[in-house]
Amino acid sequence: MIGIATTIFWIFLIIFAITAVYSIKDVNFEFGEPQMNIAEDGEMVFSLPINITNRSFYNIGFFNVTTKVSDENGHVIAEGSSSVPFVKSGEKVTATHNMTVNFSDLMQNNQNYLFNDTELKIFTTLGMGVAEVIPVQASTNMSVPWGAPFYNFLLGTPERVAFNSTHAMVTVPVSFENHAFFDITGTMQVQMYNDADLLAGESQTAIDALHYSFYNGYVEFYVPITRLTRTGHFEVYFLTPLFSYGPLVIPYG
Amino acid sequence: MVETADNLKTKLRKFTFKALKATVKGVIFYVIYFVLWTMFLAHAAALVPGLQQIIETFVIVYIVLMVVGELTSGTIYRFFFDAAKALFVIGYLIFSLKGGVIDVSFENVNLLVDLRIFLSIAILLSLLGLAKSVLGAINFMSEKAEYAYV
Repeated sequence: MIGIATTIFWIFLIIFAITAVYSIKDVNFEFGEPQMNIAEDGEMVFSLPINITNRSFYNIGFFNVTTKVSDENGHVIAEGSSSVPFVKSGEKVTATHNMTVNFSDLMQNNQNYLFNDTELKIFTTLGMGVAEVIPVQASTNMSVPWGAPFYNFLLGTPERVAFNSTHAMVTVPVSFENHAFFDITGTMQVQMYNDADLLAGESQTAIDALHYSFYNGYVEFYVPITRLTRTGHFEVYFLTPLFSYGPLVIPYG
Repeated sequence: MVETADNLKTKLRKFTFKALKATVKGVIFYVIYFVLWTMFLAHAAALVPGLQQIIETFVIVYIVLMVVGELTSGTIYRFFFDAAKALFVIGYLIFSLKGGVIDVSFENVNLLVDLRIFLSIAILLSLLGLAKSVLGAINFMSEKAEYAYV
C-alpha cells in the first residue's frame, strides 16, 4: 500500500514539476512605451506599462517589479515597486510600473546632476510565483547615462556700455548644452554683486532649450555706475517646472 | 541427482524471470524519461547549463539500483538496494537542486528559483520509501526466523 501511495505521489509531483517548468515559456511579458508626467509638486513620474499574458497551465501569483535607481556612490535616487497579486491561466493583465523622481530635491542636493554628465545605475527585479508555489526571481543591473541639463554652463565676460549719467548697461553672454532627455523651459535669474558683495544689478531671462541642443543667450543688467567694479560675482538661480536650483556662484573679472 | 538438477532448473527459471522483470522495469523507466525529456525538458536544457548531464546521471544510477534490487529480490539485499535508492534520491536531489535555491546567471541577468517546497515534498516521499525498505527488511528477517523456528 505504501509503495502504491508513494508511486502515485511521485507521479503527481514529477508531472507537476515538469509541466510548471515547461509552461514558463508560455508566460509572456511585453513592455510598453514609457511615459513621463510632471506632477504639480514638480515630481516626475515615469510609467512603464507591462502586459502579462499567461498562456501556461497554471496561475501566476505575486507578480512584482521593483526598480531602484542609484548614483555611482550607491545613493538611491528613485525607487518604485508594482505588483499584481494574481494572473489566472489564459488571462492577460496590464500593470503599470511607476517610479517617482523629485528632480528639485535631487539637484538641490547634488549639483553634479545639473552640470556634469554621469552614469546612473538601475537595479530591476522581476518576481513571480510560478503555479503560485514556486517563487522565481530575475534581477538585472544596468547603467544608463545621465545627461546634465546645463552641461558646460558658462557666463561670459561682462561687457559694459554707458546707458546714462548714473547707470551702465552690462551684458553677459550665457551658454550651455542641454544633454538631458527633457526640454528645459523656465527662467534664469542672475544677480550681479560687486567686490564689496553689494548687489549691483538683477536680471532674469527666459530659457527654452530643447533636449540635446545648444543654448546661447545673454542677460542684461542696468547697474548704477557707483556700484560697478572690475571684479565680483554672479549668483544664478534656475526656475523650471521640473526643478529649482540656486544660487550658483560664478566669479567674474 | 535428479533433485539437484530440478533445483538448479527452478533457480535458473526464477533468475531468468527476475532478470526479465528487471529489464522490463528498466526499459519502462527509461522510456518514461525519454518521453519526458524530448517533450518537455529538452527546452529547459537550453536555458539551464548541465541539466541533461544531471538528469542522465540520476536516471543511470536509479536504473542500476532498480535492476540490481530486482535481481536480488527474495533476499535481504533487495531491501538494502531499495534503501540505497531512497537515500540516493534524497542526496542527489539536495545536491543537484543546491539545497532548493537555484541561482543561475546569464550575462547580467540573475535568475533565482526557489524549489524548497518541491524538494521538501520529494524528500518526504523518499523518506517514506526508505521507511518502507526498513520495514520490509524487518518483516523479511522475522518471517525467515519464524520459518526456521517452525
